[in-house]
Amino acid sequence: MTALVEVSAPTPSASARLSWRRLLQRPMGVIGGGMLLLALLAAVAAPFISPYDPYAPARVTVFDIFQPPSGAHLLGTDDSGKDILSSLFYGARISLLVGFAAAAITTVIGGLVGIVAGYRGGRIGIGLMSITDFFLVIPEIALQIVIVAIAGQSLLNIILVIGLLGWASTARLVRSQTLSVRERKFVLRARAIGAGDAHILRRHVVPAVLPLMIANTVLVVSLAILSESTLAFIGLGDPTVISWGGMLNHAFNRSAITAGAWWALIPPGFAIVWVVLGTTLLGTALEDALNPRLKRHHLERERSLLRRGGEAFLRRGSLAPGPAAPVLEVRNLTVEFDSPGGPLRAVDDVSFDLYRGETLGLVGESGCGKTTTILGLLRLLPPGGHVVGGTVRYGDDDLLALEPAEMRSIRWARLSLVFQGAMNALNPVRPVGDQVAEAIRIHEPRAGRREATRRAEQLLERVGIGRARYRDYAHQYSGGMRQRAMIALALACRPDVIMADEPTTALDVMIQAQILELLSELSGEMGMSVVLVTHDLGVVAQTCDRLVVMYGGRVAEQGATAQVFASPQHPYTQRLLGSFPDLAHPERRLEGIAGTPPRLDAMPPGCPFEPRCAFAFDRCREEVPPLYPAGDGQVASCFLLDPRAPSTASTAGAPNA
Amino acid sequence: MPEPVAVVRDVSVAFQGSRSLLDALRLRPAPPIRAVDGVSFSVLPGEVLAIVGESGSGKTTTANLLLGLLPASEGSVALEGRELGRLSRRELARMRRSVQMIFQDPYESLNPRMRVGDIVAEPLRVHRLLRSASEIRARVREALEEAGLTPVDAYLRRLPFELSGGQRQRVAIAAALAMRPRLLVADEPVSMLDVSIRAEVLNLLRALADEHDIAVVMITHDLSTVAAYADRIAVMYLGRIVETGDARTVLTDPQHPYTRALRSVVPIPDPSARRRPVILAGETPDPSRIPSGCRFHPRCPVAFDRCRTVDPPLFDLGGGHEAACLLVGPDAPGTAPADGGAPEAIRES
Repeated sequence: MTALVEVSAPTPSASARLSWRRLLQRPMGVIGGGMLLLALLAAVAAPFISPYDPYAPARVTVFDIFQPPSGAHLLGTDDSGKDILSSLFYGARISLLVGFAAAAITTVIGGLVGIVAGYRGGRIGIGLMSITDFFLVIPEIALQIVIVAIAGQSLLNIILVIGLLGWASTARLVRSQTLSVRERKFVLRARAIGAGDAHILRRHVVPAVLPLMIANTVLVVSLAILSESTLAFIGLGDPTVISWGGMLNHAFNRSAITAGAWWALIPPGFAIVWVVLGTTLLGTALEDALNPRLKRHHLERERSLLRRGGEAFLRRGSLAPGPAAPVLEVRNLTVEFDSPGGPLRAVDDVSFDLYRGETLGLVGESGCGKTTTILGLLRLLPPGGHVVGGTVRYGDDDLLALEPAEMRSIRWARLSLVFQGAMNALNPVRPVGDQVAEAIRIHEPRAGRREATRRAEQLLERVGIGRARYRDYAHQYSGGMRQRAMIALALACRPDVIMADEPTTALDVMIQAQILELLSELSGEMGMSVVLVTHDLGVVAQTCDRLVVMYGGRVAEQGATAQVFASPQHPYTQRLLGSFPDLAHPERRLEGIAGTPPRLDAMPPGCPFEPRCAFAFDRCREEVPPLYPAGDGQVASCFLLDPRAPSTASTAGAPNA
Repeated sequence: MPEPVAVVRDVSVAFQGSRSLLDALRLRPAPPIRAVDGVSFSVLPGEVLAIVGESGSGKTTTANLLLGLLPASEGSVALEGRELGRLSRRELARMRRSVQMIFQDPYESLNPRMRVGDIVAEPLRVHRLLRSASEIRARVREALEEAGLTPVDAYLRRLPFELSGGQRQRVAIAAALAMRPRLLVADEPVSMLDVSIRAEVLNLLRALADEHDIAVVMITHDLSTVAAYADRIAVMYLGRIVETGDARTVLTDPQHPYTRALRSVVPIPDPSARRRPVILAGETPDPSRIPSGCRFHPRCPVAFDRCRTVDPPLFDLGGGHEAACLLVGPDAPGTAPADGGAPEAIRES
């Protein structure tokens, strides 16, 4: 599953430095930050910008009370004749002071408790979390009222009460973050180096937890301001200072409503909303920017409409027609991902055929568009991914033009997918057998419960799990068994095509051999076609009839397996074969390919392989090579195969590994 | 003959297994799980030893033994002639500096927030090996150079996400090299990397052994990647070494049926290769339920009666090649057709 997510994120980084940039890209964060900044400025500059000093003793006459807004008093006066605008500015000081001070207390206590509980675990961790849970369930506001009423209505008491009662949710958040960091491999590595707890906490845990804590603190500020206002509004504020809640309280208690003095009520209310909204927006944006994982998973929802390119028509030509009509005919498939810098092309003009009963290998390094091709043609692209051109002919239908509902019924029933990391794909709380039976019933509602169960049992038997384990859960299966269960699920509806994305990558060699044997037996028995996405050329050599080599989102070469292995035409294919270990020649050292596949946002203008290619010449830097035929249906996109290629290049290139 | 860097002698590691509720109520003790059972081997300076096995074979436990992260229940582990079990805590901590570990996953094992220079300096700082910042800086540069990350200045300030998988693994290796280790334990150092970049990491490890006389223990499930890089191979199955010897000999003339099966299922990138894979049924059994006799017999394609009762030791086949199979022992059934038909069949594969 991780691989699927990877394709969606061209710049996978959790660096805090980049997060600030991400924050600035979020209007929510900029607006929230701006609102908060304005309030802070007002608080700091209150003595200079307030037209009157609300704390100064004044002689009040009846004519000063509840004056409507005027030139002298922009927002009017309150029940004691004070200028509301000035009180508002001074009130900001108290509200923000309480908010930030209480949030600081909360963060320190919650952070410490969370880090200790998460890092230490064990008895101390459990004890601390029990205390945290206790603080989480007590009704905060009620307790605040009681304590402030008893302890006295001083500003310090109010800050302490809000801070000391509010740390529990911070502790929970920090603990879960600490727990996840503690399990990361780099912490394990630090421990293997011999680092002590202090070092690991300082260098690894705290830097990872801190950004989320900051985001949380901002949210806590808004809660604390709200709490202070509530307390002040019900008359439990510090009577010696001016706060927004206190202003509201006075206005209500001293008949501002009967006097019709709306100007005494609305400004402080508005100020509270302003600051709380600002901090919440900023905090949410921070949290969002620091924790991109909060986004929805891409398999949750069906993409409803495709953005189709104009010239997406069948362009037959370079591909030699096979003996029979193919089961699946992919033509010019092009997939793009949205990004802030414009669309990124992950799959570019990919065409291939899949015939009945054949196994087709899709090979290439990671990041070459293999998985995206499969997800694109099944229309399971992650959010932000679109098929922008091409057709996928299956029978009489173009899969890319079908209604989502039609596509759903074809997917899985006719074209099923076995993906990497099978453990994540099985439901952990339902018996595996039930899941297979369910898959059968969803696609064949006419099959009764008993019939579905019977067929699920047969399937488990067939994939080598055995019906005795029908009632077992996924966690009771080994890795190989889970992958078998995934195959059983994929076979549940007797599909025409199985697409297997690295089905054996995480498995031991012996289990890998078992799974591959099973897949090839099944495709023989049921006349199924298989698309095998893999980076392992050994597996391709032994299981695939034909192969498609992908590089930089394009087809680099395709043809019959025996032929491509015997005479690889594309330099990439040659180098890939050279980097593969071969037990038939154990003495041969591996060559490897220097450099990495191009990033989607830095695709070379010409041939994508040009920067790593030893044979590249001028034309390769300027033009994208088309697919040139190389005999017997083998094609390769390399200018060396152009009959008009410069002779120097073609001799230098004499592509024979 | 140089002194071996590490000598592991008859080591067993037993964990306390979990017991069922019923057994707990009956006050029955939990059965011990022997993750490693009577394993012996040694590594010379400049030598690359590959420990090959599937999951559950005990190869990772063996790595932890060498790192001193796990005590041996029986037997002894000695590094540079000093037995780990007899060292004080302080001495053990000093010893650990000379053994460094390379982890499987270079994407996960580097802190994404730390710069390359800090990652490489971290072990030096943890052990307070070098006091002055300039000494640390010099050592970090040296280690990065040795790991082939040149020009060093281009890498020092980078963050892990800016590097390719191969480069990240080089950073991890540089961090290990900064400690000037005598022994590197690499746990599946390339299995998470693309094939195209495996070569750079494997070639680097080989070069460190050849040029700096570092002993390398490479732990892997993949015979084919170590074929051209290991001097010796030890094949493990269910906590035991079942075959060991010179890498070339073990690969070209394997004697244990398990090694043969393992070798036969490694895919060969040659569609015309004629091969008969011996695909073993089932999976490696749970180490809490080790079969009687030869522990491989329930899955062995050539097992015969005696295999169910006799636990074969490693038989010496000459030239340092050893295999734990009754078929190569002194009392082997030989070519007698009654028992010998099967072994003949498997030799062909």
